[in-house]
Amino acid sequence: MSPAWPARLRPLAWTFAAFAGAVLLHVDRLPAWISLFALGAIALRLRLALRGARMPNVWLRAAVALLLTVGVFAGFRTLNGLAAGTALLVAMGSLKLLETRARRDDYVMLGVAFFLLLAACLDRQGLTRVPLYLAQLTVNCAALAVIAAPGPLAGVMAPLRLAGRALLFALPLAVLLFLFFPRLPGAFWALPNASGAVTGLSEEMSPGQIDALTDSDTPAFRVEFDGAIPPPNERYWRGPVLSEFDGTTWRRERGHYYPEPAVGFDGPTYTYRVTLEPHGHNWWFALESVLAAPNRRVLLTMDRRLVAMEPVNEVVAYTASSRPRTHTGEPLSVLGRRYALALPAGQNPRTLALAARMRAAAPDAAAYARAALELFAREGFEYTLTPPKLAANAVDDFLFNTRRGFCGHYASAYATLMRAGGVPARVVTGYLGGEWNPIGRYFLVKQSDAHAWVEIWLDGQGWTRIDPTGVVAPERLQRGLYDLMPGAASFATRMARETAWVGDLVQAWDAINTAWRQRVIEFGQASQFALLERLGFESPAWEQLGLLLGASLVGWLAWMGWRSRRWLRGARPDALARAWLTLGGKYARAGLARRPAEAPLAYAGRIAAARPDLAGGALALAREYVGLRYGPASDPREHELAARRFIRRVRGLRVSASPPGGSR
Amino acid sequence: MSERLQQAIATLETIILGKPAQLRLAVACLLARGHLLIEDVPGVGKTTLAHALAQVFGLAWQRVQFTSDLLPADIIGVSVFDRNTQQFHFRKGPLFTQLLLADEVNRASPKAQSALLEAMEERQVSTDVTTYRLPDPFFVVATQNPREQAGTFALPESQLDRFLMRIQLGYPDAWHERALLREGERRELLPQLPPVLDAEHVLALQAAVRAIHVSDALLDYLQALIAHTRTHADIRIGLSPRAGQGLLRAAQAWAAISGRHAVLPDDVQAVFGAVAGHRLERRDAVDSADGQRLAELVAQAVPVPA
Repeated sequence: MSPAWPARLRPLAWTFAAFAGAVLLHVDRLPAWISLFALGAIALRLRLALRGARMPNVWLRAAVALLLTVGVFAGFRTLNGLAAGTALLVAMGSLKLLETRARRDDYVMLGVAFFLLLAACLDRQGLTRVPLYLAQLTVNCAALAVIAAPGPLAGVMAPLRLAGRALLFALPLAVLLFLFFPRLPGAFWALPNASGAVTGLSEEMSPGQIDALTDSDTPAFRVEFDGAIPPPNERYWRGPVLSEFDGTTWRRERGHYYPEPAVGFDGPTYTYRVTLEPHGHNWWFALESVLAAPNRRVLLTMDRRLVAMEPVNEVVAYTASSRPRTHTGEPLSVLGRRYALALPAGQNPRTLALAARMRAAAPDAAAYARAALELFAREGFEYTLTPPKLAANAVDDFLFNTRRGFCGHYASAYATLMRAGGVPARVVTGYLGGEWNPIGRYFLVKQSDAHAWVEIWLDGQGWTRIDPTGVVAPERLQRGLYDLMPGAASFATRMARETAWVGDLVQAWDAINTAWRQRVIEFGQASQFALLERLGFESPAWEQLGLLLGASLVGWLAWMGWRSRRWLRGARPDALARAWLTLGGKYARAGLARRPAEAPLAYAGRIAAARPDLAGGALALAREYVGLRYGPASDPREHELAARRFIRRVRGLRVSASPPGGSR
Repeated sequence: MSERLQQAIATLETIILGKPAQLRLAVACLLARGHLLIEDVPGVGKTTLAHALAQVFGLAWQRVQFTSDLLPADIIGVSVFDRNTQQFHFRKGPLFTQLLLADEVNRASPKAQSALLEAMEERQVSTDVTTYRLPDPFFVVATQNPREQAGTFALPESQLDRFLMRIQLGYPDAWHERALLREGERRELLPQLPPVLDAEHVLALQAAVRAIHVSDALLDYLQALIAHTRTHADIRIGLSPRAGQGLLRAAQAWAAISGRHAVLPDDVQAVFGAVAGHRLERRDAVDSADGQRLAELVAQAVPVPA
């Protein structure tokens, strides 16, 4: 920054920097025209400042403001919400730039910059964004310092260093507030998110319609096991249960809830914590069979699914327990049985015929189920992610013609066979497996782990999982999708899987990100109470949080005070100085207050000149004072005594407001 | 000693009428072992002041009129070959004196200027083979015209820093102007002036100035003043540590002249304009008088600790 710049330009340049940086944080979310408008406004304002030209007049600005508002409304169909609000703020901030004249306007612009930073924090909280936010925060604070006092902070680095230092001092305060400031239950960052485009399972499955499964490394959820980890063939994460079939598409049942028989649970209990990515639906995932709903925000349905009150639009974490097997002494209810056997009339006739033949040959339902599985193993079925499309009567076409498909095809065909053979069956979708992350000690379940399987009702056992895909491609159960079909994976995925260190890096990054999110972003009321418990509070509540917050704030203030003790001591006058200040106060009654930069004898001289009646006292006291304050150090004891004498004399000093005799 | 000093100052006041503050600053500069730059238009008594100082303080003095063709040797001296002894003999220039009046120093070439200024700083002169110490006390009073004139070389900042003080004399007020007109040329009175002090006295006074007490409280104030010049928005470069030392010595000298044994903020403020004025430069302006105003602003802005 050259010294030739006009004085006004320096705070202005910092304002530009703070505002432009704040806009940059949003630039990929903003409509391009708004970013361009902001850029144009900065360029125009810079031009005006350099050439000293006049700003656009108020009517023009008002018209542009109206146009911008209309533009934002046209683009977003609303002025509410994070995205539209941010766009509007950027547009109006840019316009405000064109009327920044005084320091006050710079403060307003900085307010906009801080608000945009806050909006960015609400929008995205990824670990990669953190350095950006910190940098922007530093620039904003530096700009604030320059605007408040442009003089002492020369150059570019000095304000940044000051801001950095100030932020470091504020860091303990931020940590304390983060830890102890009472939160509302739920995620703090939760804000209605407009971008609903989330991947994941849907509420229906039409095996014939999709002709390729998208491969996606997008995480679905992460799981940490507390204790025992189930073997791979029990890592079935149940999601939507699809019970209605129209011959082509399996759908989630709607409004048909039949009471199911009570079941008992067998096998080891697995306890685990799931961190679920937003997917826009209201189902949560759990291992079979989940024992109870994790919390009050979610219900455990009759078919043992977790259904939340609200769609999962933000990350949720929950702890659940499951046991793998069930037993029951009751039969399926009549209605439930009828429902789980329903097939569309007149469709897939060849499948129905085959089912009738096989059922007649099998002694019981379990034997029939086994026979049907053997059919898949025997008849040359092939697992592929790019199956041919299926004609009408999709199950017939698959079973007798194409015989190529992925989990959905097998689940659909198998469930159809079971129902046709009189065995209650339903399709379950969810995820299978997960990738172990040794650094974070959790399983990462990705969208590519999505799976579909079948549950059949066996008397005595209850609903029993059968995975027909496992017969066709047993490796699918043991390993992930990509081990099976390397060609299906994207280049980046293959790279991560085939090169060890890239894979390690990917896992490490995922672990760090997960830790960041679980420990920092999702640190809410529950985590606070957990912390309180660890600190020894028996029944954590708001009151303890307030107490801790207050205590730690006092601690922080004490620390700051101790840090700046020298400064404080310098600012706190000693007894002698207090007496001198008192003296100034007394003469102030006569309209002769001491000016801060006035030297002692000069002050006494001024008093003497203005009020000859006070001259003697003032000059003597001033001489005494400078002798004590600036004179050669005599014996400390003597000095102390002299100082006390001086203080007494100042206390005894009487200054009349006007000269004696009332000479006017 | 102190009475002699007051007497000397009183004598000076009979020669230089109506300029008590400037006179005292000039004396303080001498006692602080600094050098003095007088900047003013011609004819306000710059030369008379220098001459009077030399006369009253009993110092040997020389005057060099600086011109554009002045060579360093014209100031320092020159080695001449002595036929009789078959040896080079250094013939000392006018610099070898106790009070040197360098008149219109900004008319000389930078080469001649720097010869003088180096001698001022080092208080010695080096020729090819020998180093000659300058006499003690050694006091340079340089004058310069403030206005940019054809054929002048303004002293750069680094050279200005070697002068402890810069003072301006200014026109006398109406009363003193009439007195001047009535009583005639002051300079004629000078040879009749009895010297009040001599070089030994000056050296003793200089030593006494260094012994004037400086308290921690005063150093706090002094440091705050200097720091303020370094952080002030309008000042291009703040005061150097050398300037800070000079300021302290000048304040000590002022305290001595005022008959005090310890330096007060009053003393610092009294000399601050003269010490800091020529060292401070406004960021955006070129007028050299600005320095004085900046110094006043700084002194008014920095609180005197109670």
